[in-house]
Amino acid sequence: MKKKITYTEIEGRSLGYYALLVVLGALVLLGAGAALYMEHNGHYVTGMSNQIVWGMPHVFAVFLIVAASGALNVASISSVFAKTAYKPMAPLSALLAISLLLGGLVILVLDLGHPDRLIVAMTFYNFKSIFAWNMILYNGFFVIVGVYLWFMLDRTMANYSKYAGFAAFFWRLTLTTGTGSIFGFIVARQGFDSAIMAPMFVVMSFAYGLAIFLLVLMATYSWRGAELGDGTVRRLKNLLGVFIAGAMYFVVVFHLTNLYMTKHHGVEAFTLRDGGIYTQLFWYGEILVGGVLPLILLYLPVTGKSRIAISFASILVILGGLAQMYVTIVGGQAYPLEMFPGKEIIASSFFDAGVKSYTPTLAEALLGIGGFAMALIMIPLALRILRFIPVSMADAEIDPHYREAK
Amino acid sequence: MTQLALVIDLNVCVGCHACVTSCKEWNTSGPAGFMTDENPYSKDPTGTFFNRVQTYEIGEFPATETLHFPKSCLHCEDPPCVPVCPTGASYKRKEDGIVLVDYDKCIGCRYCSWACPYGAREIDEKQQVMKKCTLCVDRIYDTSLPDTERKPACVLACPTSARLFGDVHDSESDISIKIREEGGYQLMPEWGTKPANHYLPRRKTRLHIHEDELVRADNPLKKEQRGPSKPVDAPTLDDSTSW
Repeated sequence: MKKKITYTEIEGRSLGYYALLVVLGALVLLGAGAALYMEHNGHYVTGMSNQIVWGMPHVFAVFLIVAASGALNVASISSVFAKTAYKPMAPLSALLAISLLLGGLVILVLDLGHPDRLIVAMTFYNFKSIFAWNMILYNGFFVIVGVYLWFMLDRTMANYSKYAGFAAFFWRLTLTTGTGSIFGFIVARQGFDSAIMAPMFVVMSFAYGLAIFLLVLMATYSWRGAELGDGTVRRLKNLLGVFIAGAMYFVVVFHLTNLYMTKHHGVEAFTLRDGGIYTQLFWYGEILVGGVLPLILLYLPVTGKSRIAISFASILVILGGLAQMYVTIVGGQAYPLEMFPGKEIIASSFFDAGVKSYTPTLAEALLGIGGFAMALIMIPLALRILRFIPVSMADAEIDPHYREAK
Repeated sequence: MTQLALVIDLNVCVGCHACVTSCKEWNTSGPAGFMTDENPYSKDPTGTFFNRVQTYEIGEFPATETLHFPKSCLHCEDPPCVPVCPTGASYKRKEDGIVLVDYDKCIGCRYCSWACPYGAREIDEKQQVMKKCTLCVDRIYDTSLPDTERKPACVLACPTSARLFGDVHDSESDISIKIREEGGYQLMPEWGTKPANHYLPRRKTRLHIHEDELVRADNPLKKEQRGPSKPVDAPTLDDSTSW
């Protein structure tokens, strides 16, 4: 017989709960201060220049936006693919998706030259611009996932939640396609200019979003002192492994394709061999930390069962993801424009010759971290107000196929 | 349709930066200002320039030569920076083909900077909007100026007349004739952006002098029936007299 799952708020009176809010709140305030400082003084107090126009804040912003759509996956698996075992986690998954997107967008907006003109961006649409499309996709995501969440939480609307789930799934795929296309459509930069960017971002979003979801889920249940079944953790960590491998597959195909094209040899040599910090971040950050190590941790029999190892693997996926964004976004701009193929500028009175340098400033990093903290602080606040999570996530409670071990 | 543009003669550009400074002077004081510079005379200077001169070295040492390459917005006929702008702040004027930015509509997302394959987009770090060469649109139509001065500041300032201004769609304009007759070319035509600005290539003029040409076969003194002068080392009158 199908068991009825009881959802609950969190108590939120413990010292730990308030400590968490204080720490995250302080980071949010620091981020807000950094944004104010950059807005007041202008672009030049950042490490960004005329050549590197998107820097550290965008690394965090794009990462969070990509992760947001991935965080919705758990909900999609339950509603679109009808996997009952994932259903109890669906509201938390949708909540995390909204909070991550909000955190990412806050960074993106505050890093705009003119955040005060957001109303202009909302009222004058150039429909040829993928950037304008993204604004529609982001706003639509809030609405659709918001409705989905409402249908899941409101019993009278529960019958419609499946349809809302379908819409949200379709929308999230479109959203990440749009985010990837911000880079894929840029033919002027050798580091982007590839249709594979869109599907690559979709698969990357699966991994980033699930890694954050796993951490949030495990932290929530561990801090609440409630049970989180091994079956659920095992299922999610195996899925995370598949997503990491999928993301790495796309990275390999992307670089192999570029290596095959002679005109892309320059940029590939830059990323894979000669790019200094970008090469190091690619191999050590993106591939080793973000791919190989978590895969080992998740699948090695010794570590695969340890929740500490799984948490650690999830953190590595997040760090690797940030490295990947840095290589893609900053590295893609640092590589010089090839005005005359094979020739490079030897002198320029404007400091714009050769490979562009970028040193992120503290303010930029704080804005990024502040946005991340903002995404996270919404979770404990929302969990205290509404019933997003099941009282218990014990396997016997939520898994219809659960058999007691003999 | 008119398409205003610059033609830059790389053969005579000497890299003096007069175009850079005059551009900065005119535009800083005009509606396109401020074109902020930060720390211009100290460590890590940054600044907004609509026109930059970059220097390339051609060939392998020791057979090398230096090429000065002035670069500003090329006012493409199909500009990639225009479709990417989310608010439509970046636009191309129908009447004269100049690509401009509406500073009041620009939200400072800097996406156009990514899209321009020529790196001609500039952020004003203080005003936090994207800017670029306007072809001195506030000057070329200014009827209070004499006709001869209704040209972009850089064109007027160039000491070697390496910069020419006109309508590339008018086949009889000075610059169209230059482009046609002197091998004017567009930057990266394979992108299909159809840059309106053109460059004239470096042109080598070599003078070949044959040895025979150094000896005068038709000495004009013959016509005057005077014998050619003595060889330089032959004894002179001073050598043969003793007083």
